Amino acid sequence: MSTFAGKRVLVTGGSRGIGRVTALAFARAGAAVGFNYSRSEDDSEAGETLAALRATGAPTFSSCADVGDPTAVTQLFAEARATLGGAVDVLVNNAAVTQDAPVMMMKDESWDRVLAVDLRGVFLCCRTVLRGMIAARWGRIVNVVSPAAFVGQEGAANYAAAKAGVLGLTKSLAREVARFGITVNAVSPGLIDTRLVGEMQSERRSEIERQIPLGRLGTPDEIAAAILFVASPAASYITGSTVHVDGGLAMR
Amino acid sequence: MNRDRVRTEVKELLVTGLRLQLPLAEIQDDAPIFGEGLGLDSIDALELVVLVEEQFRVSIPDEDVGRKALASVNALVDFILAERAA
Repeated sequence: MSTFAGKRVLVTGGSRGIGRVTALAFARAGAAVGFNYSRSEDDSEAGETLAALRATGAPTFSSCADVGDPTAVTQLFAEARATLGGAVDVLVNNAAVTQDAPVMMMKDESWDRVLAVDLRGVFLCCRTVLRGMIAARWGRIVNVVSPAAFVGQEGAANYAAAKAGVLGLTKSLAREVARFGITVNAVSPGLIDTRLVGEMQSERRSEIERQIPLGRLGTPDEIAAAILFVASPAASYITGSTVHVDGGLAMR
Repeated sequence: MNRDRVRTEVKELLVTGLRLQLPLAEIQDDAPIFGEGLGLDSIDALELVVLVEEQFRVSIPDEDVGRKALASVNALVDFILAERAA
């Protein structure tokens, strides 16, 4: 499959989970792929992702960079341009953090940090990538959101607010750049079988599965497939939209 | 850089880069580039920013700078000459 041959892709938050699987899927589809991660304790996982990307033969790089920091974002995209051989064509804003607490007990820092990474980070990456996309008159931006943006989430109002903010950003930017051949969409993964869920007690897991119409958790591959679809030529007429890949969890 | 030459290059960039259907001679030096004048809007301005930055190796980082720099052909020429002299 070479749907993305000649394309340069940047996936934020790519050291593990959905980001890693998405980066690999793009590389297998012929793209040059880079990713970032923000914490140095994730170096070894990032190394594994990088090795897997290299094994596909695609040009690739990884960078320890915080998307909430404008200087780091500028450097990240400069590095992408240098190592991938040109400006980024496809941006997947996947990086996110959580710092859960009920609103009444939430610290200022928890609110600010989650908004800084999960919302401001998406804004900063979009702003930086646009010049190259406008020059090329082509681009794909895919923002990873969450059912929390649509239905809220107890104990994670900061995360839900950030993700709902990303939806507003997605639609506004989609309107702004449509005339340049750039589409901006969101993908909303439901509960996905990643390490976090793997550590969950089986009773709690079964309880969660009962709430999902399709009766099971999703896999990172199922999210990556949706992200690749909205970035592909097959989705050329889709912009400002959200693809819900959640087993029906957030359907209304 | 020669002012007249930059002015001509700016007008050429407007016509070819933004695909304007009008001769260079019809672009007024002091008329607003965006709004009524040439029928361009603030989103067309994004493409002009990218084109100007690329061709003249200058930076138009934000809305404040952009509003001044892209006010008219003459304003843009002044901006380019000032940035390149800096």
